[in-house]
Amino acid sequence: MSAPSATAVPGDTGRSRGSLWSKAVYKLSRDRFGMTGLAIVLVYLVAALGVWFGLWGQGWSDVTGPMWAAPSGEYWFGTNVIGQDIFERAVYSTKVAFEVGLVVAVLSTLLGAVLGALAGYFNGTWIDELVLWLKGVLDSIPFYLFVAALAFALKGYAYSMHVAMIATFWTTTGRLVRGEVIKLRGFEFVEAARALGVPEFKIIFRHIIPNTFHILLVQATIVFVAAIKSEVILSFLGLGVKDGVSWGLMIAESTQEVLAGQFNNFIWASVFLFGLVMAFNLFSDALQDALDPRSVA
Amino acid sequence: MELLQYAIRKLVSGIPLILGVTFISFVLMVYFGPDKTYELLGKNPTQEQIEQVRHQLGYDRPFLVRYGDYLRELTTLDFGHSDSTGERVNGLLGRTIPISLALTAPGFVLGNLLGVLLALVAAYHRGGWIDKLIMGGAVVGMSISFLIAIIAFQLLFSSSYGLNMFPVRGWDVYSLSDYVRYVTVPTLATVFVALGYNTRFYRAVIVEEMTRDHVRTARAFGTPPWKLLYKNILKNSLIPIITRIMFSIPLVVISGSLLIESYFGIPGVGKVTYDAITTGDQPVLKAVVGLTAVLFVLTLLLTDILYKVVDPRVSLK
Amino acid sequence: MTSEALLSVRNLSIEFSTERGVVRAVDDVSFDVEHGETLGIVGESGCGKTVTALAVMQLIPMPPGRIVSGSIRLNGQDLLALPERQMRNIRGRDISMIFQEPMTALNPVFTIGNQMVDVIRRHQPMDRASARRRAIEMLEKVGIPIPDKRLNEYPHQLSGGMRQRVMIAMALSCGPKLLIADEPTTALDVTTQAQVMEQIVSLQEDYGMAVMLITHDLGVIAESCRRALVMYCGQLIEDAPTERLYERPQHPYTQGLLRSIPRIRRQRLETLPVIEGTVPDLLHLPPGCRFADRCPRAADECRAHQPPLIDRELTRVACFYPGARDD
Repeated sequence: MSAPSATAVPGDTGRSRGSLWSKAVYKLSRDRFGMTGLAIVLVYLVAALGVWFGLWGQGWSDVTGPMWAAPSGEYWFGTNVIGQDIFERAVYSTKVAFEVGLVVAVLSTLLGAVLGALAGYFNGTWIDELVLWLKGVLDSIPFYLFVAALAFALKGYAYSMHVAMIATFWTTTGRLVRGEVIKLRGFEFVEAARALGVPEFKIIFRHIIPNTFHILLVQATIVFVAAIKSEVILSFLGLGVKDGVSWGLMIAESTQEVLAGQFNNFIWASVFLFGLVMAFNLFSDALQDALDPRSVA
Repeated sequence: MELLQYAIRKLVSGIPLILGVTFISFVLMVYFGPDKTYELLGKNPTQEQIEQVRHQLGYDRPFLVRYGDYLRELTTLDFGHSDSTGERVNGLLGRTIPISLALTAPGFVLGNLLGVLLALVAAYHRGGWIDKLIMGGAVVGMSISFLIAIIAFQLLFSSSYGLNMFPVRGWDVYSLSDYVRYVTVPTLATVFVALGYNTRFYRAVIVEEMTRDHVRTARAFGTPPWKLLYKNILKNSLIPIITRIMFSIPLVVISGSLLIESYFGIPGVGKVTYDAITTGDQPVLKAVVGLTAVLFVLTLLLTDILYKVVDPRVSLK
Repeated sequence: MTSEALLSVRNLSIEFSTERGVVRAVDDVSFDVEHGETLGIVGESGCGKTVTALAVMQLIPMPPGRIVSGSIRLNGQDLLALPERQMRNIRGRDISMIFQEPMTALNPVFTIGNQMVDVIRRHQPMDRASARRRAIEMLEKVGIPIPDKRLNEYPHQLSGGMRQRVMIAMALSCGPKLLIADEPTTALDVTTQAQVMEQIVSLQEDYGMAVMLITHDLGVIAESCRRALVMYCGQLIEDAPTERLYERPQHPYTQGLLRSIPRIRRQRLETLPVIEGTVPDLLHLPPGCRFADRCPRAADECRAHQPPLIDRELTRVACFYPGARDD
């Protein structure tokens, strides 16, 4: 096929990296679904920040109403089995979701970047072997058992769920970064830095990891979604959020209510969760499209 | 003979993985796990009684000795008796694993089969509205939590608010019709949740294969599009498809059924293992985790052999 | 240009939509392929020669591709008007195509025999056994030793040259009237190149088919083609009998191409002359002649207007100042 393509020369990153990013931003901004997703995510973020700064959602634990009140001007989404306002709880849970999502996404992506870059840079050495072994081991332990075991090992530490997710979700990022770094290692700018005697850790952190940023960004969005979704199931299993409320806890408590014909808690927690996950998925897809020139349409 | 040599080499190279999984699990689940001592003792135990129970449970021996014992148990596949019920661990697993398999197998098979099918349809209509519909549906499916799907399907099919056709929970299976009654709703939920991810993955694989030179060659010789898909593309796409399916098997057997089993109150191996963690039933935990790791290594081997069957270029070296 | 030509392409224009805009990869190209003749199409990569060939086969991926205008007639029948189902019957039976990369053009997971039998039975009512016999016969014809053994082998077990022979055998197995060969020898080593080209030429004589040979290598054209087209930036710029193209090239671009061939006869160790400048970006084409920026003779007229194809004795050429080399 002879249609021209503007492939960036991988060697001279200084120039092509900039144009790659501006192209990606341009492409992303023209993706209708992706931008809709981003807009919805931002709405959620505002809701979460409002909770954070104490503007709203503070009455999530107050028992103010009667049991299972119907939606009304006072209780927009009705009340739950002990008379708590479902709207307040759903909004407050937005903050919890962002906490879980952001903490896990950022830290596990960082971990994946560092371990993947080390493995890729020292490809073929014992460091590589060690990282690959660790990845294989973590991928082979059933996730829910791992979380449960960690929760007990950490004696009820409130963030044991976060720790378990961070410890296991980095493996995909690590694998992708490792592959990319093996490619990058052969490029001139790395060779040049090495020839100039730049210390290896500096090459890895200053020159190599920044060049895998497109992978990290996409992976972070994917992990964000995975973390929020896992939280729901872990909360149901009693391994999730300890202090506070989350959509997962709301759905868990609703499993009894739905059998009694009370659907408000279930529906609203599900809608809030679905909205954020769906929006993030759309944004993540668009991001992947814009950043990965090889991705198939 | 060549195959046997390869199998042995591969199994030996899987030993570090097994050691890693068992060690980490051992540290987490056994060493730092819940202490069963006081549960097994009566009120106001004497120091002597405490020590006796700790000795029974093996708590008093050094860490490495206990880990060594674990490895020995794993190689002989004899894990002793459950700390909680006294049942032989092998008997317990022999009872619960078949239930989990019967519970998850239909959903797993259907989820992958339908996923490949939908992916083929979407790829065939690439860029058209059918493709967009399927892929849009996949994103929506991916955005729905497994737990929400379970609750919704249970309401829809098993409650008086819906069709009320299937049992709400439990597993009283004595005949094929019982089986169908109890397995339907969990299967529907599983398939629903897996389908989005599977379809997307398989479509990406198939579409990538569609752009290959040999597909253009086949088209240049007048091969009709449906034949391109089922003959010239599907077999070539099998390596990533096999990889995905094979590597979910060890986890599906143990872990994937946990949520379903907990929710529907089905006594499968997932539920038993989960209970073992919360109560500190170490023999059961050691067995499940160790066997999962062994299963993983066997899967690695089997996957390699399948690669060889599918792609003549793969050599078992 | 006679109306009884085997293949007749008229005013063909093809566009691709890319991320950066719409690109016209083939622009108003017209030519004929006569029965039994070998026509060479030459040009640099990206000049539109492969797209033209794929258009004849109707294998251009649409989208992003789009045939804007023109007609492609095979024995008078307009291929562009044919429904896809009928076009499938033509592919492999009336027109066959072989590709540049024998490494990837065959399906790696099926045996040679399996793939050949598929092609043969696609167009001829034959049972598996006779199709196999036919496949063996064809492999013998293209000079593959022990063909019945090769039939059970996979592409990766064969050398590049062997694979290209298998492709040729497949392409000829249904007796096509036209063979399109897209850079058939580019990926092969030099000795194999010559053998494979000889094979194509001798089989062409046996089968009496026409060949459209696409290449960037003028040497290959000289050895095997009666007539050649030169393409530049999606346009046909020169169409001449091969001898005349070599003796008296009319377009300055053709002249430049010819000069860039190493002259082995002269045995002089000069640096190779190359055409100065670069091919313009297809997204930002100049209004006038597309070669003007690189052309030693370009005048204001060349930069303002596109030169039309004009007849000049046996040659068609798109240049305002055609003719003898000025050096």
